[in-house]
Amino acid sequence: MKISVNTEIALTYLSARKKQTAIAAMGVMFGISMFIFMQSLMKGTNDYFEKMSFNSTPHIRLYSENKVADNHMLKSYLKDPSVKILTNPKQLIQTQGLNNPYGLIREIQHNPQVANVTPQVTADVIYTSGSVQINGNVAGVNIDAEDKMFDVQSNMVTGDLHDLNRVNNGLLIGKGIADKLSLHVGDNITVTAGTGSPTIMRVVGIFATTVKQVDETKSYANIVQAQNLLGKDRSYVTDIKINIKDYNNAPQVAKELETITGYKAEDWVQANEQLKAAFKIRAVILNSVIGVILLVAGFGIYNILNMTIYEKIKEIAILKAQGFSGPAVTSIFLQQAIYIGIMGGLVGITCGFGITYMVSRIYIGAGTLKYLPMSFYIPHYIEAVCFGILTTVAAGFFPARKASKVDPVTIIRG
Amino acid sequence: MADIALKSTGINKVFHDAVNLQVLKNISIEVKKGEFVSIVGKSGCGKSTLLYVLSTMDTDYEGSLEIAGTTVTGKTLNELARIRNESIGFVFQFHYLLPDFTCLKNVMIPALRLGKLSTKEVEARAYEKLKMFGVEDQALKKANKLSGGQQQRVAIARALINDPTIIMGDEPTGNLDSKNTGIVFDLFQKLTKEFGQTIITVTHDEDFAKKSDRIIEMADGEIKSHG
Ligand SMILES: Nc1ncnc2c1ncn2[C@@H]1O[C@H](COP(=O)(O)OP(=O)(O)OP(=O)(O)O)[C@@H](O)[C@H]1O
Ligand SMILES: [Mg+2]
Repeated sequence: MKISVNTEIALTYLSARKKQTAIAAMGVMFGISMFIFMQSLMKGTNDYFEKMSFNSTPHIRLYSENKVADNHMLKSYLKDPSVKILTNPKQLIQTQGLNNPYGLIREIQHNPQVANVTPQVTADVIYTSGSVQINGNVAGVNIDAEDKMFDVQSNMVTGDLHDLNRVNNGLLIGKGIADKLSLHVGDNITVTAGTGSPTIMRVVGIFATTVKQVDETKSYANIVQAQNLLGKDRSYVTDIKINIKDYNNAPQVAKELETITGYKAEDWVQANEQLKAAFKIRAVILNSVIGVILLVAGFGIYNILNMTIYEKIKEIAILKAQGFSGPAVTSIFLQQAIYIGIMGGLVGITCGFGITYMVSRIYIGAGTLKYLPMSFYIPHYIEAVCFGILTTVAAGFFPARKASKVDPVTIIRG
Repeated sequence: MADIALKSTGINKVFHDAVNLQVLKNISIEVKKGEFVSIVGKSGCGKSTLLYVLSTMDTDYEGSLEIAGTTVTGKTLNELARIRNESIGFVFQFHYLLPDFTCLKNVMIPALRLGKLSTKEVEARAYEKLKMFGVEDQALKKANKLSGGQQQRVAIARALINDPTIIMGDEPTGNLDSKNTGIVFDLFQKLTKEFGQTIITVTHDEDFAKKSDRIIEMADGEIKSHG
């Protein structure tokens, strides 16, 4: 390929002042590598927290909500709007759980977006061992389905979660419960549900999540055990937990399920509002930091070009005298900006990847979080390049335009 | 008329400094194709100023300018740039090469800008031009490493690279010894006689002026004699 004379002049000017060029390119490099690093860290963290929340929260949870007592039944019976009915708006306790849960599950499974469905019986309980008592809750689940949806296995500290299917009265307890009651696998624990009688159960495993509060209260039992604890029959189910194929569609699928079933369907976005807020705040912080870095890099380029133009103003005049038009001169200087951008960008991408990789190897070991969660996501690199080019072009534009407006006669005359 | 290379009609130019200074007063000149014209006059009489106007670089004047039968007054800056690139070669009073480039590149740049020949061809032509002025051995040196006289010769070579129809010089031999002045003069004469190129040059060198086809005399911004 034949390189144009504008390009040749641009490159000559850049190589004539290697040091300043390198410094300007370093500014861009710094900006771009920081951009990549921060984006990777943020996406990694967000993905991690999202995944974490899916370790305990399903994409959608279907349950029967307590309703405030109202008078619409009475009203429709009286059929007389002139009658004023006074009511005491108290919560009605829905002790019935979900009606016909296995029918609902079959219906939900028909929805093409749904990936996994599993029933759960939640029971508020008191754990007793010796004379110590703590409050908590038992999740009565089908442990195989639960493991498939929430990867319970990855949280296991000791014991085997499949023992829930084998051991009669088996219980998986959180590490916090185990510590407080000094329980080990094989020990007995008394579990009392509010409405049922005390039951002696056997610890078959201990798990630890990253959430202390969960570890200090939660335990898993077989769903039948949980029904027994509450003194309920086999059709008693309090929640249906649903995972769908693309969790971003959860709010919409939840709405569909609500209209089909008539029960409350809570999606993970509603359940994790603080998580979403944290994502947003992080995004704002990140974007401001990146903005400032790129601004500084932009000023670096602006500066070097302004200096070049100040120094080379005579030469610009000569070029124009020899027939270089305004656009040709603009091109010469804009190209310098772009080459600085490309150089800084290429090195920046490499550095950004390197930093991201190195940081992802730093051991931090907090709970199940062993390494900083970093994501290696190609669009970040593409975005970084786009931002880099945008910054350099914006920074180069004004000096280049200034150069193109140089009046050759004024300059040559001196 | 087809054989008029350059024609100016009633050119006036005023510098608006602290006081208004009229540097060019009603200048109307005509230069034929293939003519070798010298412009002489006292220092400060407006020779350089006139040359900048005639070369299309300075557009801030009254009156009108025709080059090769086309009126260039009022054309856009980009159009004028193209005209300069293609058909006007200019040698400045103080030579003015680009110091970051080699002499060869300096000579090549206007031709590369024009883009009519390949880089190879341009390079060969540039060498040829440098050879004519005896500076081909300096070709690969950076321009700022040359003596004043050498730089001036490179600058003349550069003005010739695109075979312009008009070559304008502002004291192009001001820095040259008599031998090199002779070389430049002979070459200019050859260009006008053999190739029909037109030369308009400001000079303080009386011998140089006398030997040219015609002398235009200026004084106080006016043409005293058309020669
Ligand atoms: N930018 C300017 N502003 C005001 N006056 C100017 C400017 N440039 C030149 N002049 C004046 O215009 C007049 C003509 O200048 P010009 O450079 O054309 O002279 P010249 O004939 O080329 O002289 P020399 O032989 O010394 O090169 C001078 O009196 C000069 O002071
Ligand atoms: Mg002068």
